Amino acid sequence: MSSTAPSSQTVPRQRLLYLHATTPSVFSRILGLTLIEPIPGHRPEITVEDPQWPYDTVHDALIDGWQIVQFPLFQASYDDRDLDVVGYEFILQKMEIVDD
Amino acid sequence: MIEKRYLLTDTEVAHFLVQGYHTVESTLPLSVHENIACQLDALPENPGDAILESVPELRQVLDCPAVTGVCHSLMGSDYELKSHRHWHCKQPGDGFMQWHQDSINQRDTRIDRFLALYYPRTVTADMGPTVIVPGTQYRNAPTDRMATYSNFRGQVPLVVPAGTVAVTHHDLWHGTAANRSSARRHMIKFLFRRTRSNTEPTWNHDSESVDSQINWGRTDQMESVAHILSFGNPLGVGGTDQYKERVIRRRCWEQLLGEDE
Repeated sequence: MSSTAPSSQTVPRQRLLYLHATTPSVFSRILGLTLIEPIPGHRPEITVEDPQWPYDTVHDALIDGWQIVQFPLFQASYDDRDLDVVGYEFILQKMEIVDD
Repeated sequence: MIEKRYLLTDTEVAHFLVQGYHTVESTLPLSVHENIACQLDALPENPGDAILESVPELRQVLDCPAVTGVCHSLMGSDYELKSHRHWHCKQPGDGFMQWHQDSINQRDTRIDRFLALYYPRTVTADMGPTVIVPGTQYRNAPTDRMATYSNFRGQVPLVVPAGTVAVTHHDLWHGTAANRSSARRHMIKFLFRRTRSNTEPTWNHDSESVDSQINWGRTDQMESVAHILSFGNPLGVGGTDQYKERVIRRRCWEQLLGEDE
């Protein structure tokens, strides 16, 4: 009996979407967006042109089938006078068959 | 003595405190910039901090009234050019550069350190321009924490004509896009420092026209200094961050007026 390893073309891969929102609410507006495709050599990059974002809020992404795998973290020490990173980071995934 | 026409206005200084940058076109002839660019093209290697010795004409750019007017306005009359400077040559095919703040963040309500980014040749969108994120200059965020960002609403590519100098707050977040053109993109970065606190405004300040009152019913009325400092929100951040930014900007403004001590 022999088994055949599934082709990488038929195994779902994890697409990642980092969304930086104005508040921890999924309904708040997105300030930053990074899409990571599970494709060899893929690197998200800073662009000159308007990236034409597909979503205005995290909720928009949920409607489109993305799933949140990490909500914004609040364990870090907090200073109410200081400013640090931009936005609250949601990490989302979609498991899909992806062509290289 | 600097002519008043080269100094910033109250609203320009207020916009700087909000945005973290101000661009100015040098008053020098284009031939000076092209000569500098040609000398950069011919350099066999990057001289690092010695770039001013390798291309002495760069001093003309730093000394031209349009540039000294901005520096004088923001840093006072006896500002200092630091010894660190760097020629950033982005070759055709070079990839993007990730967001970062130079050195370590020293977020403070004193604005003492500045960068001047000089572009001797016109930078087009495909040449790998510097990209900045207005409003990030007060954020105490180590560069490694920026690794999951790629694009922001409100980011600004410095697609600029030859001879432009962008004076930025030292801690402003910046990176570059990829150079997909067939041309080199030159940028020379200089570091400046204030040497003493202001005892009075060092720009074209008009105390009578500066409106210190905030009209909370007209937050869209952005051309008053009070409103620029209070409601400018280039990134579109949430309310809590806006409150913090407002406090920091007001302190910066008072410091520049000489009222801080």
